[in-house]
Amino acid sequence: MSGVDVAGRTGHRRLAVGQVAGDRRRAWPWPRVTLTALAAAACLVPFLLEPYRVFQLTMVLVHGIALLGLNLLVGHGGRVSLGHGAFLAVGAYGSAIMTTSLGVPYPLTLPVCALVTFGAGLALGRPALRLSGPYLAVVTFAVAVVVPLVIKRFGAVTGGSMGLSTPVPVAPSWTGLADDQWLYLLVLAVAVGAFAVARNLVESRAGRALAAGRENPAAAEVLGVRLDSHRTLAFGWSAMYAGVAGTLYAWVVGFVSPDSFTVTLSVVLLAAVVVGGPGSLLGPLLGGAFITFVPAVAQRAGDALPGIVSGVLIVVVVCFAPTGLAGLLRMAAGAVTRRTGRG
Amino acid sequence: MTLEIGGLTVRFGGVTALSEVDLTVRPGELVGLIGPNGAGKTTLFDCLTRRVEPAAGRMRFEGAGLEGTAPHEVAGRGIARTFQQLGLFPGLSVRENVMVGAHRHGRSGFGAAAIRPGRVRREERAIRRIADEALDRVGLLPLADHPAAHLPHGILKRVEIARALAVRPRLLLLDEPVSGLGHDEIADLARLVRDMHFTSDIMIIVVEHHMEFVMNLCERIVCLDSGRKIADGASGHVRRDPRVIDAYLGVVPWASPAGRP
Repeated sequence: MSGVDVAGRTGHRRLAVGQVAGDRRRAWPWPRVTLTALAAAACLVPFLLEPYRVFQLTMVLVHGIALLGLNLLVGHGGRVSLGHGAFLAVGAYGSAIMTTSLGVPYPLTLPVCALVTFGAGLALGRPALRLSGPYLAVVTFAVAVVVPLVIKRFGAVTGGSMGLSTPVPVAPSWTGLADDQWLYLLVLAVAVGAFAVARNLVESRAGRALAAGRENPAAAEVLGVRLDSHRTLAFGWSAMYAGVAGTLYAWVVGFVSPDSFTVTLSVVLLAAVVVGGPGSLLGPLLGGAFITFVPAVAQRAGDALPGIVSGVLIVVVVCFAPTGLAGLLRMAAGAVTRRTGRG
Repeated sequence: MTLEIGGLTVRFGGVTALSEVDLTVRPGELVGLIGPNGAGKTTLFDCLTRRVEPAAGRMRFEGAGLEGTAPHEVAGRGIARTFQQLGLFPGLSVRENVMVGAHRHGRSGFGAAAIRPGRVRREERAIRRIADEALDRVGLLPLADHPAAHLPHGILKRVEIARALAVRPRLLLLDEPVSGLGHDEIADLARLVRDMHFTSDIMIIVVEHHMEFVMNLCERIVCLDSGRKIADGASGHVRRDPRVIDAYLGVVPWASPAGRP
């Protein structure tokens, strides 16, 4: 098509939905090479790093999956949820209870928990998304407050405040892998799938409609977009991502307790979406790295520091890089392409 | 296959925005809707796109009432509009804006999009083709991948028209398409609207204060004042109508290039 050629010549590029307007930097000129290198690195790290690092990277992916979903709602849908920790709890406890009490093989718990949290997300999103702004925030916040209490109340099933230990998946012997390597690769596979689905959603008719509703609800509606159903579905999908992340969390950590899914988790997840870069596809992964590594690094300097350091960094990013870490990365990539004169 | 409006009345609290307005538009007609600020022109568009609920009256489009139509079903009925203040999606690219205009030509939702089977890919290509056709029509295809922001106002106005065209409407409502545009851009836009008018038999209603634009473009003019229709007829007649001159045009409208008395 001639339009594409012209666009290529003038240096404009296809924008990811939700990318900041006015950004006319050239596309990264080596997408294939970069992607291949990243994929190779992602597959190799479990064999190069010590088990604790592998565990950390696994947690980055787990958080990244939850953030991919939340980003769908917050970054693309323009709606806030302060309660996504609750869906992680549902996924984690669902998996833990199924494997320990019911003897369900762990791989089966993933689709079951995904479906359950998808349904829960739709059920909550349908009434809640009629609200907006602070009201929606309060409703989702309430869910995040209530779920840990419910978990404690039904101690017979959930183990109460003592929590519940669940068997960590064991690497099948034919793979010859250590358990932590197996888990990492398992989570990596799910994360790649989650990433591909998120990308498909964002670059689809439904994804555009969702973003259009964020940008200008009145105009979107006149063009035939059903705002409420698109937002409800986005909520359902984001809840499902959180549920999947919760299930993986239970596999990786092997222990679930109400204290792992407090209100703080929900708030941290929302902050991580903003820090990573709302509306970008890379943002959730960077956000996942942020909430995994920053507290761990700060912890070494002092017990009180993780909260303070995270908080200050969040403020710094929001003030000085409103497009988040993904935006910074894009800026750096832009500088590189300018210098090399490619693109 | 016409648009028939009868006795349309809209009240906002104590204010009557539209009072028993009758209007019939036939396919292929290009109607200019004029009147002073607050005359109810945009309110009429808002009624037709179901953003405002009339207190009384009826609206029939192509033989079926519009009253039971939900706002998101308006595009499906073949009605598209532009907004007085730009109604674009600035965070999306120009092409994506227009692709949202083609929303009604697709069916697939989240579930299908997630796994992206061939059916969804074909639909996506079809939507993209419709969008590119519309962009080509307004001459903006080279800018398709630019964000729909930080562009000259005249270009953004045309993006919005392309987006409305992507609906493939049978009734097109243009709300002040040339406000804030320069002289050459106005001429371009007049050419564009005239072209749409001559090459298809869609109904077009243009709200505009720019008298030269409206008088040159539309053979039929409707004038509203304080919610009432005070004139409806050939442009030559309407602009000599004493009531129209009194309410809106002032003394000699065609002598003032800006059109505003």
